[in-house]
Amino acid sequence: MLRTLRKLVLGETWALPIGIFVAVGLAAVLGAVAGSADWWEDSGAFVLLALLAAAFVAGLGIRR
Amino acid sequence: MTFVLTAVGAALAVALELFEAMAIVLAVALTRRPSAALAGAAAAALACGALAVVLGPVLVAQVAGDALRVVVGVALLLFGMEWLRKGVLRLAGRRARSDSYAEFVAEREALSETAPPADGFDWPGFVIAFKGVLLEGVEVILIVTVLAARPGGLAPALVGGAAAVVLVLGLGLVLHRPLRRLPETELKYLVGLVLTTFGTFFCAEGLGADWPLGDGALVLVLAFWLALSQAAVRALASAPGGRRPASPSSSSSSSSEAPA
Repeated sequence: MLRTLRKLVLGETWALPIGIFVAVGLAAVLGAVAGSADWWEDSGAFVLLALLAAAFVAGLGIRR
Repeated sequence: MTFVLTAVGAALAVALELFEAMAIVLAVALTRRPSAALAGAAAAALACGALAVVLGPVLVAQVAGDALRVVVGVALLLFGMEWLRKGVLRLAGRRARSDSYAEFVAEREALSETAPPADGFDWPGFVIAFKGVLLEGVEVILIVTVLAARPGGLAPALVGGAAAVVLVLGLGLVLHRPLRRLPETELKYLVGLVLTTFGTFFCAEGLGADWPLGDGALVLVLAFWLALSQAAVRALASAPGGRRPASPSSSSSSSSEAPA
């Protein structure tokens, strides 16, 4: 039951939730470093989008 | 736009999870005792209702402002990207397609091997129905609560969720079996896209970044995730060990992996 509940929240693999936390964490650090700088307000959303895209591809396990 | 996307996302997520729960409850009702199936489902529904009553106010009261947006965003990403990942794998033929009817048939066959007790309450049937509804219901509650917790999200999340409950329960009462031709794989993929889009959007806002076009950026983010996931489907389908994406008419029993 607990294993199933863990799967419900975190999913079937560790790669994806870890990737999400790393992506959001990195974006939070960048945002904190940037402070109220214009570049973060203007481009920060796309930085987060790119980090999340990388996490998603890593979670799929696609290898060339 | 935000209202419609939230309502559609909540409705689809609730309906798809309820279809899976209904498959288990109907299997118990048809092979054992309807009273045990209904009692188990009702008890699980009460437990899920209690979780919703506790979780919603706690989430909103303890976390405020930008932090709430990040928490809500991360929760939506955890659910959405997992649904999206499974959708991509299914569409690429790397995983069995989602099929509540097949689950219903398999559950019914498994249950028919042991007869219910000749007299007294059917506790095994009760536990099976309770567990099935509880596990699917917890995911429903988490998704709807998170969608409802963001500013302006309460009304569309509740409207979408309530519409789905009425629809699925109505179909269950009329048909006495899950729908056979429902494109569950494609619908779950769509839910993954919507939840991931909202998660990305709210996380960025919570981290102090602005989206161009305001709420209109939701469409752009949705288009981005659609393009990326479709590219992933093609890459996985054409990679060694993969196969061409399965058509909706193909059977779900082509893979040994159980649908989730």
